[in-house]
Amino acid sequence: MKKILLLLITVAGFNFAKAQDTVKTTSDAPLVIFGSVDTYYKDDFSGHANIPTSFAWDNNSVSIGMIDLGLKKTVGKASFVGELSFGPRGQYQSIPNGDGSTANAGNSYHVQNLYVSYNLTDKFNLTAGYMATFIGYEVISPTGNFNYSTSYLFTSGPFQNAGFKATYAFSDKVSLMAGIFNDNWNVYTSTHDVSTFGAQLMLAPAKGWTAYLNVATGPTSGTIFDLTTAYQITSAFKLGLNGATFTPAHGGGGYDGVALYPQLAVSKAVTLGLRGEYFEAKATTTTPKDHITSLTATANIKAGPLTFIPEIRFDNGKNQIFTDSNGAPTKSASQFVLAAVYAF
Amino acid sequence: MRERLYIYMMKRILLIGIGLLFAGMARAQKNQLLLDEHNRYVYYQVVDMPGISTDSLHKNSAYFVKSIYPGNKSIKISDSAILIKDKFLTYTSFVKHESGEVTYTLNIEFRDSKYRYWLTDFSFTPYERNRYGVFVPSSQNHIPLETAASKVGKKEMASYIEQAGAFCKQLGGKLKEYMAENHTAQKKPDQQPAKIVTDKW
Repeated sequence: MKKILLLLITVAGFNFAKAQDTVKTTSDAPLVIFGSVDTYYKDDFSGHANIPTSFAWDNNSVSIGMIDLGLKKTVGKASFVGELSFGPRGQYQSIPNGDGSTANAGNSYHVQNLYVSYNLTDKFNLTAGYMATFIGYEVISPTGNFNYSTSYLFTSGPFQNAGFKATYAFSDKVSLMAGIFNDNWNVYTSTHDVSTFGAQLMLAPAKGWTAYLNVATGPTSGTIFDLTTAYQITSAFKLGLNGATFTPAHGGGGYDGVALYPQLAVSKAVTLGLRGEYFEAKATTTTPKDHITSLTATANIKAGPLTFIPEIRFDNGKNQIFTDSNGAPTKSASQFVLAAVYAF
Repeated sequence: MRERLYIYMMKRILLIGIGLLFAGMARAQKNQLLLDEHNRYVYYQVVDMPGISTDSLHKNSAYFVKSIYPGNKSIKISDSAILIKDKFLTYTSFVKHESGEVTYTLNIEFRDSKYRYWLTDFSFTPYERNRYGVFVPSSQNHIPLETAASKVGKKEMASYIEQAGAFCKQLGGKLKEYMAENHTAQKKPDQQPAKIVTDKW
């Protein structure tokens, strides 16, 4: 009896709290909590892991990606974002450990995003800290990608840039970011100095269409030019494109690449998509140039906050860079992945 | 005897609990938007303001939109009506983050000793998380709230309708406060809080 009473009072109290909950009309939003959890199973048709892009590494194994936990708060013109990740995808597969010293080498800080920002005006924002990179189409968080496996462009490009940036919005259709970042990509601490210059021009030529022209260049990090664009052409069809060219500061090499992302929503729960990619590793003084093509067919099946992602992928190299089921060199590799991503 | 008293008290508490439960549910349902004759969601209210002239209602409602919507360029004020377009954010319920934004049109009309207002043209844009951990409008175009059910799940849809209803109710409450006050009269300077004198005792 007492338990029933307690339950009833709790439910009634919850109902009242819910009814009293009003929509916030001021600019001071509540403390925002967000994140995701992901897990996957992969079967490489060769019987062993073959395709060397980021994440979904384990073959014939039910494996974990990461739990991602983020906090964001805005009071007046000041905001912060802190995002921590735990698990292979969110630790050694995407972020550095410690500060590089022997004593701290294995100590992961788990940080994906950690920055503060201030709106000087409605159009002018200053941000400083450790931030997801502004370069590229795909991201570390599985909730930000349509495909579960990643492109060669993503794997080869920066993941994060620590630095200071200023963004000015000329209008809803044009904005410009310029900033100065640590000398290397993907580091919490600079090796020598803060010498990578980065800039991003955002254009929105039509409703549903955004394009980002990006550059990051420095005497240590090298130079990367990147175009990332997505266009929601109809309510069901979206087309994305990523193209980049990278030249290291020393030693030659680098890469060029382009990836196309057509996606079609066939119902409110199911979207089908392809990723076609061409990726070329530039020649160095010791190795000739090489290229690879990749085709990935992915479905996103939504059940509320949970998304199931079945995916099949075929990679084909110019040279024999993969191995077949007998361990012999071969030009092609293929895999099936089934992933589940819960976003909150 | 004590056992009887215990059972009696328990029954009373149980009844109060059930009452609270239903009262809460009824209160939540009151926030629901309704469909008008054109099958469009609308929040419509007529409010009597005995003793307040049309001119005062006009001035009060103009003061309301200027105070609540500073910098909004869509405000249209005529002799008998006010129209404004704006938006509000919706939030997820499990953990709090922005799930989307709803644009709307607010109409206010007034005549002797009463005014009416209605919010309509609700249009929803889902938000998605960007790489910096910030929720921003997705690339999808605005979806009229009436057809949003074809794009989002049942539970999300019910939540958006409820939040829109709660927003309208809150805004209506604020409008009523402004309409009841005389904003045309010269405001008295803010009264300073009384000071405690400690040197005389």
